[in-house]
Amino acid sequence: MAKSLSECIIKGDHAGAVAIVKDALDEGTSAKAILNDGLIAGMAVVGERFKRNEVYIPEVLISARAMKMAMEVLAPRLAEAGVEPIAKAVIGTVQGDLHDIGKNLVVMMLKGAGFEVIDIGVDARPPAFVNAVKTTGAQIVGLSALLTTTMPAMEGTIRAIKEACPDVKAIVGGAPVTADYARRIGADGYGADAASAVDVAKGLLS
Amino acid sequence: MNTRERFHTTMNFQPFDRLPILEWAGWWDKTIARWHTEGLPVDVKDRYAICEHFGLDVYKQGKFVGLGRDCPKPVSHGAGIMESAADYESLLPHLYPHDLVNPRTWNAWADEQQRGDIVLWFTIDGFFWYPRRLFGIERHLYAFYDQPELMHRINSDLADWMLLVIEQVCSICTPDFMTFAEDMSYNNGPMLSKGLFDEFMRPYYDKVIPVLRQHGIVPLIDSDGDISVPAYWFSEAGLDGVLPLERQAGVDIGRLRREHPTMKFIGHFDKMTMDKGESRMREEFERLLPTAAEGGFLISCDHQTPPGVSYRDYQVYLGLFREYAEKAGKRSRQAIRGTT
Repeated sequence: MAKSLSECIIKGDHAGAVAIVKDALDEGTSAKAILNDGLIAGMAVVGERFKRNEVYIPEVLISARAMKMAMEVLAPRLAEAGVEPIAKAVIGTVQGDLHDIGKNLVVMMLKGAGFEVIDIGVDARPPAFVNAVKTTGAQIVGLSALLTTTMPAMEGTIRAIKEACPDVKAIVGGAPVTADYARRIGADGYGADAASAVDVAKGLLS
Repeated sequence: MNTRERFHTTMNFQPFDRLPILEWAGWWDKTIARWHTEGLPVDVKDRYAICEHFGLDVYKQGKFVGLGRDCPKPVSHGAGIMESAADYESLLPHLYPHDLVNPRTWNAWADEQQRGDIVLWFTIDGFFWYPRRLFGIERHLYAFYDQPELMHRINSDLADWMLLVIEQVCSICTPDFMTFAEDMSYNNGPMLSKGLFDEFMRPYYDKVIPVLRQHGIVPLIDSDGDISVPAYWFSEAGLDGVLPLERQAGVDIGRLRREHPTMKFIGHFDKMTMDKGESRMREEFERLLPTAAEGGFLISCDHQTPPGVSYRDYQVYLGLFREYAEKAGKRSRQAIRGTT
């Protein structure tokens, strides 16, 4: 089951993934095993291949879609079994920036890794980030910017978040953002790409 | 040399008097607005008037967008205007306009080009960019797998339209170069695999590029982001070169030149240095000088000059540009005489 399910995720076969999840549940396989050994394992392979430029954004999207559709079947059984996400993450594109593809990829990869993700959308002002972190108890907050002119909003946003929620860990990413910039503005981590952002988020939790 | 001679000489790796000093992309509207408060005369607004104000070599650009004036607009940034083949059929009357080449404008530009006063070029929606306009950013990326027949149909229709536009332009003049607007890369390289490029884009380049060559127009590709990997694909597809070569995306002109000895490049001056003072900008010109002196590479800002750059900063940049343009020209002539 696990190997076939992972393969469906890797190939982006959403119909196959949904069918296997239904069959596995009917056969009594635990929801947690389906999630961890099938879905998350498959997305982990996709993430590694993405980092190595063996697959690209279209392939990541269809894999993430397969996982999302499989999760729609699995989610109620996970809730029944008391399976919790590994952590919560608030993700948004900063104030003044309307670009969302980068953010959306990070959302997909984090969900694929077992995070619960609260997507606050684009052009998100500091209070929107703060409110989302406070109300959800997120441990991670991710900020995306695609323009050199919107990047400066990251520093003020991180400051506001840290003042309100000192324990939350902030990761930044996006086209003009660098690791050096991330350090200078007080971010806890820098995501060079969507797959690496997952690694950074997991690292900040441990 | 006049402006046009200088472009062709430099781009053909021949010794040149100095590098062209150009802005291929113009400036952000916010940048111009800032400069209007810092010394740029407020009645100097038009892109080419600003070029003349600064004493730049003037490169005049036509733009051809495959959407009619009455085409529906996307509801938000990055959203598309269609989802399906049925939607595409409904949109067709609003796509591929046939009246884009304004004879009065193009005849005037042709006269300037013939006198050598300008370089004349055009940009046309490309085979990644245009389907993205129609589908929207995310749906387009799914469409490679979800709707391959429609993707092929769009790009086939687009190629036919491009051929029509090229014939209309060439009935008036022969532009010096053109760019396919693609923006198919980002910091981590291409957004799609070579497999998808070869299937969905290459056949249509194969249809259009030979016609451009027959007319004597140099075909380049406009793709932001890191194009180091797809530069090989572009070369295989018959494209002669690339702009803007964004430095912050990781592009390195030295490596590009080693890997592509005859490719033509425009751009690559790191715009992020332009508000960091003369010393930092000078370092950047020093980095670019060796490759520029070999020819085939026109230094220019690696995208639109952002509004963080003051009018004073820009004048410092231009002063350095003029200095290094002369240095590159001198080196190019010494290289030919074997006196480096």
